[in-house]
Amino acid sequence: MTGIERALPAGLRIRVLDASWQVRPAGKTVPEVQEISPVEAFSRAADALYHTLRALPENAWRRPAIRDLDVQGLVGHLTGVEHDVQRALSGDQAVGQAEHVASTQAAADRQAGRSPAQTLGQWRRAVRQTMTGVTAAGDLGMIIGLHGVQLPLYAVLVGRAFELWTHENDIRAATGLPATVPDAPTLALMTRLATTLLPYAALGSRLGQPARLHLVLTGPGGGTWDIEVGDGTLPEPARVSVVADAVRFCRLVANRTTPAGIDADITGDHDVATGILAAAATLAFD
Amino acid sequence: MRGTDALLAARLEAGDDHALAEVFDRFGGLVYGAAVGIVGDGSSAQDVVQDVFVELWSHPDRYDPGAVSLRTYLVVLARNRAMDAIRSELRRIARQQRHYRLTTADSPRSPGEEVLNADVASTVRAAIERLPDAQRRVIELAYFEGMTCREVALAAGIPEGTAKSRLRLALAKLETVLDRQLLESL
Repeated sequence: MTGIERALPAGLRIRVLDASWQVRPAGKTVPEVQEISPVEAFSRAADALYHTLRALPENAWRRPAIRDLDVQGLVGHLTGVEHDVQRALSGDQAVGQAEHVASTQAAADRQAGRSPAQTLGQWRRAVRQTMTGVTAAGDLGMIIGLHGVQLPLYAVLVGRAFELWTHENDIRAATGLPATVPDAPTLALMTRLATTLLPYAALGSRLGQPARLHLVLTGPGGGTWDIEVGDGTLPEPARVSVVADAVRFCRLVANRTTPAGIDADITGDHDVATGILAAAATLAFD
Repeated sequence: MRGTDALLAARLEAGDDHALAEVFDRFGGLVYGAAVGIVGDGSSAQDVVQDVFVELWSHPDRYDPGAVSLRTYLVVLARNRAMDAIRSELRRIARQQRHYRLTTADSPRSPGEEVLNADVASTVRAAIERLPDAQRRVIELAYFEGMTCREVALAAGIPEGTAKSRLRLALAKLETVLDRQLLESL
């Protein structure tokens, strides 16, 4: 089809765009993703990891996973994180300042000499204890200090879902299994948390220039955000637009890929955009 | 990154308002041209353009970039919406004729209404003029005189079944004529 283009009447563009945005506000995804609670997201991520671990043959638990940890040690690390969450829920101030890896290293080391079933059972019980602690806390808005950050409990739970998914995929990669993708409702909470925390990550990364970021994360669980990053007191913020797949963006936030690795479509100042993406990767606890 | 159309579709689904503006800037003139080719260049064509982009923005998941280009999708959508406007105009004319027949006092449309509908109506009337005599006659009786099929049959001196089949044939031909007008504009 060649088609005949015609000059548009004055005012038609704004009329059409306004009418469209009245019907569906910018940022609202189609199809709509079902809302779930952060507790549900955490529970689903824990279940997914449990099913992956339960299907592993015994020798797979000895495979190197991340850092100096094998699969079994990594599950021990996760048990340690659950114990730290429980300490935070009970008001232990010290765990707020603790470092994520160092604080859980002993739990990882304790797995040496244990059977995979023992490690798996201990982690599963720790997850249940966390759920019990969350139920007892009652208020998902209560501020929790954990591993150097202060966040509302709901954000901590989404962050935990994020970490469980990330380490599940570390284990799957270590044992030759294909990667998994969180379901859309869980992913939607993860992308929302990541975009909420992005300005803080950018501040911590000391970006040279402030920016107005138009971030579009495509696919189920994605969305559109306009985010101010960097020091807002500096004049002339750069305007950048980044379009990326939502799952790849979450892998970047988990520090499991690089800004170049997410194959983003960038418009505006490329260096500023890459700097923001690099800052996103600093959100990872590891 | 994915092909342009697939990426635009994904961005629209993600609620990216910039993507809608980009699609409009790229294809707005083409969609308007397709609409004008069928309903003329009055306000009806602008309504068609609005309908097309509101539809794309409201239901971006109905567009399958693997099946057809976004350009073609939008032009076909414009054609369908313009044809809907023509059908709606035919029904309006018929309703109006029936109303005139049933009321003693004539109440002509306002000048504003006349201008608003003149472009679409003239396109339809021109298409009807190009029908064979027998088919044009039944269309005029049914839509402009507001007659039922039975009344059309009596007025034209033909069996009711023949009146029905001529009407169906005439409507099909009318759509073909109007479609051809569109195809010539593509």
